[in-house]
Amino acid sequence: MVDDLHPRIVAVLQELRRIPDVMAVALARRDGLLIAHVLPKSMDPKRIAAMAAAIVGTSEMAASEMGLGAFFQSIVDSGHAKMLATGAGEEGILITMVRTDANMGLVLLSVGKAVQAITDLLERAAVAPEADA
Amino acid sequence: MTGSGEGDRVRTGIQVLDERLKGGFPRPSTLLLFSDKPTEKRLLAENFAVQGASAGETTLYVDFFRAPTLARAELSRFGKYPADHLVMVDAISSQLMVDSSEAYRIKDIDDLRGICDVIVQAIQEQKPSRIVIDSMEFLADHFHKEAVLDQWKRIIDEAERVRGVTCFLFINWTYHERDLSAIRALSDFVVEFQSSMRGGILRNSMRISEMEEGGIRTNWIPYTFKDLVGVTVYFPRIMVTGPFNAGKSTVVRSLCEKSISIDRMGTTVAFDYGSVNITGIEAEIFGTPGQERFEFIFKIFAREVSGVLLVVDASRPEDFERARHMLELIGPRIPYVVLANKTDLAGALGPDAIARKMDLPEGTPVVPTVATENKGVRDALLILAEMIIGVR
Repeated sequence: MVDDLHPRIVAVLQELRRIPDVMAVALARRDGLLIAHVLPKSMDPKRIAAMAAAIVGTSEMAASEMGLGAFFQSIVDSGHAKMLATGAGEEGILITMVRTDANMGLVLLSVGKAVQAITDLLERAAVAPEADA
Repeated sequence: MTGSGEGDRVRTGIQVLDERLKGGFPRPSTLLLFSDKPTEKRLLAENFAVQGASAGETTLYVDFFRAPTLARAELSRFGKYPADHLVMVDAISSQLMVDSSEAYRIKDIDDLRGICDVIVQAIQEQKPSRIVIDSMEFLADHFHKEAVLDQWKRIIDEAERVRGVTCFLFINWTYHERDLSAIRALSDFVVEFQSSMRGGILRNSMRISEMEEGGIRTNWIPYTFKDLVGVTVYFPRIMVTGPFNAGKSTVVRSLCEKSISIDRMGTTVAFDYGSVNITGIEAEIFGTPGQERFEFIFKIFAREVSGVLLVVDASRPEDFERARHMLELIGPRIPYVVLANKTDLAGALGPDAIARKMDLPEGTPVVPTVATENKGVRDALLILAEMIIGVR
């Protein structure tokens, strides 16, 4: 299970990447280290992982300070694209970049599905006996 | 005779390890690459073989699992090497009944004595400085234990005669603790391997122990593999932290070729990040904000920390208390080095005075630095790397 975790995660990321107007997808850990990515060569996946962790950490903090309830997602809305940083289980952050004119309904639905799949994978890896070898 | 390479040591090619080993593994010596489960230990053996061949040493590779063409193709991922310096003992092609151009072929895989005759003949004729046996569990699984141990000793004796360093790969499936200690006793160094998974990220690490009383013993050393580079020591997170305005971002910038800083009005509000690659060490460097109000950011990154560079302004002893507090936030038992930064300023305290004022434990390294001029920063990182790797 542990051995094939990485390819399974990459498969989930690739499936999300195939949704129209999704430009790039990556999975980071909440402490800013990269787990897996399907990003274009021009982006540095490790930097993006660190930034996503800071965005999510800060957003979570703001949500709790203002009493907004549990954190779900941050959206960075910019000139050419949006970046979605979505919590994926206790450990993960799913980073999705989409074009500004994307069909957000479809994107959010697909992101939600991917988050569920990743949460399951990470949880199963955490309880696998090899996990603390 | 084929060039066996000069010198008393064979280098691992991982510079920081070679320094610890006073230039590499001594010739002759016996290494046991050991684990209880299949791990990435073949990476180290392959790296070791290619390092030898590319340095012009004759290296003998005994492969029970792969056909020579496949083995050679996979070995070339570790970098270029002259093909004739890497001599293979081919155990596969006779089983597959395919042709082989290798000089040494094992004809009958069910004959332990015959297998080892071929290995011994290759050692005697080639006089290799490095020998890799990939791997002993193949023999341990197929033949009677006593017979395997006898042949194991025979290979060691032959290798000693040509002053070779022999690397035995071994996963223990079947042997009991008593047999294992006998095998350890045959070895000069035992290299253990472990893989662990935390939050979806797989990490490999190894630990080297010299069997001799009072010998070298390292901590668990995390490592990584990259095509054409081979095995490097890898620290997933070095934290650069310290009080406000101590020069943390400048330290990150000075260490890393490319770095980013998320800052406003000259102070870091989120973090600094960069990666370094020096002398066989690869590390990710994370700089934290210094101000208390950004402490929550600090906590996001304060996990799985390999080591800490604690930056203080040597001319501002009033901030030392805060520096100590930041160290405590990261947690106990994490190696750290104090960087006495801005030592060029008037009124800067010397390392001893800082150690006293901060009440640092005996032996804590305090390195004077001027980060704006790249002075001392790299030394501090190397000292930290040595502390993380650890030597008894």
